Amino acid sequence: MKYITTLNEQEFNIEVLDEEYIVVDGVTYTVNFESVSGEPVFSLLLDGKSYDAYVYEGDEGWEVLLQGSLYPATVVDEREHRLRSAFGSGPVQSGEFYLKAPMPGLVVDIPVSDGHEVKEGDVLIILESMKMQNELKSPRDGVIARMRVNVGDNVERRQTLLSVV
Amino acid sequence: MFNKVLVANRGEIAVRILRACRELGMETVAVYSEADRQALHVRYADEAYLLGPAPSRESYLRGDKIIDIAKKAGVGAIHPGYGFLAERADFAQAVIDEGIAFIGPKPSSIAAMGDKGVARATVTAAGVSVVPGTEAEGSLSDDDLLKIAPEIGFPLLIKATAGGGGKGMREVSNLDEMPVLLLSARREAESAFGDGDVYLEKLVEGARHIEFQILADTHGNVIHLGERECSLQRRHQKLLEESPSPFVDEELRQQMGEVAVRAAQSVEYINAGTIEFLVDSDKKFYFLEMNTRLQVEHPITEAVTGVDIVKEQIRIARGRPLKHSQAEIQMKGWAIECRINAEDPYDNFMPSTGYISHMLLPTGPGVRVDTGVYPGFEISPYYDSLISKLIVYGETRAEVILRMRRALEEYKIVGVRTNIPFHQNIMDSLRFMAGQFDTQFVEKRFSMERADRGRESYPHIAAIMATLVAHQRTQRSAHVIQRNERDTSNWKWMGRWERIHR
Repeated sequence: MKYITTLNEQEFNIEVLDEEYIVVDGVTYTVNFESVSGEPVFSLLLDGKSYDAYVYEGDEGWEVLLQGSLYPATVVDEREHRLRSAFGSGPVQSGEFYLKAPMPGLVVDIPVSDGHEVKEGDVLIILESMKMQNELKSPRDGVIARMRVNVGDNVERRQTLLSVV
Repeated sequence: MFNKVLVANRGEIAVRILRACRELGMETVAVYSEADRQALHVRYADEAYLLGPAPSRESYLRGDKIIDIAKKAGVGAIHPGYGFLAERADFAQAVIDEGIAFIGPKPSSIAAMGDKGVARATVTAAGVSVVPGTEAEGSLSDDDLLKIAPEIGFPLLIKATAGGGGKGMREVSNLDEMPVLLLSARREAESAFGDGDVYLEKLVEGARHIEFQILADTHGNVIHLGERECSLQRRHQKLLEESPSPFVDEELRQQMGEVAVRAAQSVEYINAGTIEFLVDSDKKFYFLEMNTRLQVEHPITEAVTGVDIVKEQIRIARGRPLKHSQAEIQMKGWAIECRINAEDPYDNFMPSTGYISHMLLPTGPGVRVDTGVYPGFEISPYYDSLISKLIVYGETRAEVILRMRRALEEYKIVGVRTNIPFHQNIMDSLRFMAGQFDTQFVEKRFSMERADRGRESYPHIAAIMATLVAHQRTQRSAHVIQRNERDTSNWKWMGRWERIHR
């Protein structure tokens, strides 16, 4: 299988030949790759050199945490890559932003309400978790729509709290 | 003299105290909330009793229930740990009133140091300088505070009167933003301490936060165990501490140590306590506050002095004299502690909750891990995000930094995001290595992105690993489809195929 993997706009052509060999940008390496103590920790032996990393599936592609640095990566196979370049890609700017709870917690304050106009950086909700109050801010200008929570509600991680249109 | 101790706390500090009791041959009692039934402190103690539902207010803050349990279990002493009830004079008094020893200072010392206003006034009278502010004037209204603010000058800090641990603290750079910040400081203080009173204090810029560990017994002996450098903070929460401080020389240590001892004596302090100072770039130091309890970062002092502070606390509470005189205390080597928090440094340090599915602890020479969690334990949103403390010690600061890098790389926690990458970046930061940092370093002059860019990078290795994981995922899903095909009988498959192609 051939893959095109992109990290910070740098492209790598990686071909997985079999369990033991891969080709990276034309150079062949012996590879031994295993998950240790269960996912997402992985151990890689690449031509005998040993690397340990976390590999998480993120919202957009993969996140590799390697020796204290985080590398966001997208991996597409060759066919998909061809299709994408043929039809053009780029995510469509969606009209609505859904504010999701980044962690479980308690809604302690909502300084905005439905129909309220907000600017980028305005505080939308204050969520308390682990004894800290966290201000959740608007990523862009817009109008508050569909407030789904009230002050005093306990919310779950990734629960949608409100939308900005 | 007691031989049975109740630990009124949870997490790593409860485990730490249980260990000291175990080494002293004492019986132990743990208390726990419904969320902590499987916590390590419950499993390590000889006895354990339920306090109530998960929220602290209904469990670890229920002093009345804790005292009831202590009486039923027949304990002779209660150790409060840090946080929760540790700095509540009324709780300490209630414990003593029941004829149970409180492993900590006298209620009057807690009260004197707990009210920041009284504390400032007391140490000022003892000849110790303090940072200018309104703390001595009691609780003031927002209008009064807004009027006084320009006199103190900006930038300044809003601090919670009942505060500690950075809760309810806000930095103000001008008068316009102050009303909003006052509101949020009061709200956070109200929720954390049940008291929304705040005061103002001048922000000393370029300052370092350096504190002294104190031990005092009931025989009038007061000693200090040297300093801890705690300048690396974020939102006034300490993240990393070291002892000794690269900024403090022997002369300054002696001066500050003497002042710290004097401050403790001014409230007739007994047991372990910590005097916090702000030190400006001219090495002029100001009293900040006294923490009348065991500190989170006490292990680094243990590492460089060899004194087991928790065991000393118990000895003091049993009426014994201190094991060491001031002259016998020598700081040897260097120690650094990294607080490992369930927070994502790549997402603005948002708390991260969930099950710890796997964990690999760093070990080897000069490494100590104090933790209250283990694989299978759930990090809940009810308590603070500290999941463990990684303490590393060695001969020199350079050795310890290299050792800490090694230990952080070994430490694997799976299931929640942690701030380990943040600590790795700090260990690689030239300014940290050179000892050039102040309390604003993390927030003003440090960013994960910039730090990540500055380090040796392995994009091709990251690319290979992401690709191999993605490849495994594809292979596995392909496999599932193949097996399904095989599982269907050929006759059925033929029938479907024909229907489709009719």
